[in-house]
Amino acid sequence: MYLIWNRPHQDIRNSKAVEVTAITLYHALANDSSNIKKTYINRIVAVSGEVKRIIQNRQKQQVILLKTNTEHASVNCTLEENTKNIREGDIVILKGVCMGYSGGDVTMGIPGDVYVIRCYPL
Amino acid sequence: MMANFVNMQVQGQVYYTKNGRIVFFSKTILENISAENNQVISIINIQTGEVRFSLLNRAFHFPKAKMEDDFNESYMESDRWPRSTFNGNIENSGNINFEDDGNHSVTVTGELTIHGVTRKIVIPGNIIIKDGKISASAAFKVLIKDFNIKIPSIVSNKIAEGVEVTVECLYQKK
Repeated sequence: MYLIWNRPHQDIRNSKAVEVTAITLYHALANDSSNIKKTYINRIVAVSGEVKRIIQNRQKQQVILLKTNTEHASVNCTLEENTKNIREGDIVILKGVCMGYSGGDVTMGIPGDVYVIRCYPL
Repeated sequence: MMANFVNMQVQGQVYYTKNGRIVFFSKTILENISAENNQVISIINIQTGEVRFSLLNRAFHFPKAKMEDDFNESYMESDRWPRSTFNGNIENSGNINFEDDGNHSVTVTGELTIHGVTRKIVIPGNIIIKDGKISASAAFKVLIKDFNIKIPSIVSNKIAEGVEVTVECLYQKK
């Protein structure tokens, strides 16, 4: 019972990942009729792409925004550990758990992002 | 044509974040459980006072994997209802000068949707305007039974009936 209650989270660094580009991932998940969402949602992905911006969230974690083909929309990757080795414009591969697409607001002109959390750079 | 018109209307009025933070905290004699979500999308329209929040339930991170699994599979049924949302308005937003630095207590009224159930809520909050950015914070209590969330009796003494929710967002201009 102790073991079940205290089971650690999945070890992302040592797990297999689905490889995908940020552009492909965003297109697949932001598109309602896509049948391949199951391939990515709640799975460990290794997403590659160009760094559009690096921001800090309210918990002071780094968030890497990877470019997509949609303006104002990114693959939004929260790092598990902050790093000094990634800069805007870099091409990176980040491994983490894909949460899916969180819808934006059409009337206010803000598209949603695809979120990947607990990321490690490869 | 229509899309351009809408964008022109909202130019300079819309502030947003896609990495807002929402934490919830359950306190009982047996156990304190908290989970955090740093993937909150929130949008404020300073002209109309509209404010919206949307988050993916699965992005709530718990220290214990089992608790996270139970939360998604049994309590929130996240596959069935992947998102929790809030749509509302800042009361008397016209009284706030968003151009100037300032600290404002506000009341936000709107609809909170969790686990497929929508309820009207009124919550106090705080808006700080500084250097062209808006930050907002709020704290309120959610009764889990109000949203048809069922906790099995075997663990019911480890989870509080009322869960404290705190919100913290830093918005940038669109």
